[in-house]
Amino acid sequence: MAGALLDIRDLTGNRGAGSQGFTLQIEALTLHQGEAVGIIGPSGCGKSTLLDLVGLVLRPQQAGCFRLGSHDIAALWQQDKQSALAAVRAQHIGYVLQTGGLLPFLSVRDNIRLSCDLLGLPRNSQHEQQLIKVLGLGRLLDNKPAALSIGERQRVAIARALAHKPRLILADEPTASLDPAHSVRVMELLLHIARALSVGILVVSHDWDLLSRFEVRPVQAQMAESGLTCFSDLAYRQGGQNE
Amino acid sequence: MSTPRLSAYRSTARLALIDILHEWRVSFCLILALAAVLAPLLVLFGLKSGIVTTMRDRLLSDPRTLEVVVVGSYRLDPAWFASLANNPAVGFAIPRTRSLAATIDLQAAEGRSLAGAELVPTASGDPLLTGQAPPNGRDQVILSHSAAQKLAVSPGSQITALVARTLNGGRQVQRLPLTVGAVLPEASFGRDGAFVSLDMLAAVEDFRDGHDTPQPLQSRTFASLRLFAASLDAVQGLADQLRAQSIEVRTKADEIAMVKSVDKTLGSLFAIIASLAIGGYLLSLAASLWANVDRKRKDLALMRLVGFPPGAVMAFPVVQAALIAILGTSLSAALAGGVAWIVNTMLANTLSREEFACLLLPGDIAVALAVTVVLALLASSLGGYRAARIDPAESLREI
Repeated sequence: MAGALLDIRDLTGNRGAGSQGFTLQIEALTLHQGEAVGIIGPSGCGKSTLLDLVGLVLRPQQAGCFRLGSHDIAALWQQDKQSALAAVRAQHIGYVLQTGGLLPFLSVRDNIRLSCDLLGLPRNSQHEQQLIKVLGLGRLLDNKPAALSIGERQRVAIARALAHKPRLILADEPTASLDPAHSVRVMELLLHIARALSVGILVVSHDWDLLSRFEVRPVQAQMAESGLTCFSDLAYRQGGQNE
Repeated sequence: MSTPRLSAYRSTARLALIDILHEWRVSFCLILALAAVLAPLLVLFGLKSGIVTTMRDRLLSDPRTLEVVVVGSYRLDPAWFASLANNPAVGFAIPRTRSLAATIDLQAAEGRSLAGAELVPTASGDPLLTGQAPPNGRDQVILSHSAAQKLAVSPGSQITALVARTLNGGRQVQRLPLTVGAVLPEASFGRDGAFVSLDMLAAVEDFRDGHDTPQPLQSRTFASLRLFAASLDAVQGLADQLRAQSIEVRTKADEIAMVKSVDKTLGSLFAIIASLAIGGYLLSLAASLWANVDRKRKDLALMRLVGFPPGAVMAFPVVQAALIAILGTSLSAALAGGVAWIVNTMLANTLSREEFACLLLPGDIAVALAVTVVLALLASSLGGYRAARIDPAESLREI
């Protein structure tokens, strides 16, 4: 399993407190470059909390191992290095959200370049032009997000998430607000581009019917008791080692 | 891991600028609100400096303002005058004789005459001469405006001075031919006056007193003097020094004190109004920037999520506040400049060419800009602090 892009073992995170409180356990989760993993489970099972943890915005309660590429995320959280965590997010992670995910005051072009500008990367790179072409955004570049359809917005969000060549894409119900036909198209584009760029992608979805059409390895939520959900792809890992 | 600090801040500044343009209606309201407070303040300040400067300039342009008039007769010897000359508060001092001895009758060539003109000693540096060369020796005279008018003479004319005395029961008259060197403007000396050298004045006094051989100037005592302070602020001190020597003096202290008190009163009035207005505006600016952070919470959370460091997100409202301050101050300066022009044009009749009722200097506007920007930055830091504390996870939540 050496060289895994994402390597998580025994990671626990809490959301809320008291009876509203909710605990999430990730027994094991591994993601390789160019691999697509689908996190599947009903609403309210803690999929978004999982994304918060993996997306470096929720402080883990406890972490056996939490590595992203060469970065020891568990250690960065332990030392409360917020700026370093923000820098890892900026450089290595691309986020595709269910809706929004775009700044309303920026044109499509500037939204796509958001992360590149943040990192001081050159604008109008070949990579950027290719994304715009593949996602069919050429005619929309000067528009503001408010002038786009939801499907178009999601395609812009995909371009924005990928423009700075991150190593990991986190997609939170990226097609939930689209009609079925658009859902298939957007999911297909997202997974296709991720694979072509050999980016690891973690898709959270309640729609396994959709995900199962693609080559996505499922990780199922196991709701152990009220307020506790467990995710694990341990079986896969063991299977993988036996191969 | 190197943090992409510089590009993050540059990028934030750009986003803040684009956002201000995108929400130009809101931005315009904030800029107008600033101008609504600042423009009247600038006009008020301009009026204060314009009025005070004009009053002060008028006082200063009148040389008599600096005059310390000595009343009565004394015995002032050369040593006393020497010590006076070393006094830094003194601008100009020249001895003068008893006032009874210091009148003269003048006759013009055309037969017009003027009886009892005041004989005034003068020398170079006399503020009343307003830059004219002083009369030389005993054959030149500078006439006041009214004296020249009554004699119908102009610079270069020949006149005759008649000095009369009663000696041993008989009346004797000495005729002195004089050339009019210059005529003073009416503002300098309102009465009939003949300005002559000290030498000439002393000679006239000696003749009246019956001394046909004049006493040397270096050893004689004088009854009085003409005295001018070095500056407006020196008048009071100089008058007090003379009064301490039991010399009675009169000054225009009241008028000087009035200008100073108008300056002070308008200054504190301005300070009170300015702090009220600016305080109120700052609270409203801080509140709107605070509310802005609420409105943009989702966007700021997204910026945090994609990796903008907390400091950069904090800079977002701060940059916007600075821009609003700069644009608002520019608009205020333009408005106040227009109002100042209108005020000055309206009052042009009562003002001379170099005078302003409302005076706005570039330096004052620069100070207003600097103060506004600094205060706006302070007001926005609250919103910035709040923005920096936004949880990036908020953007992942379905709202």
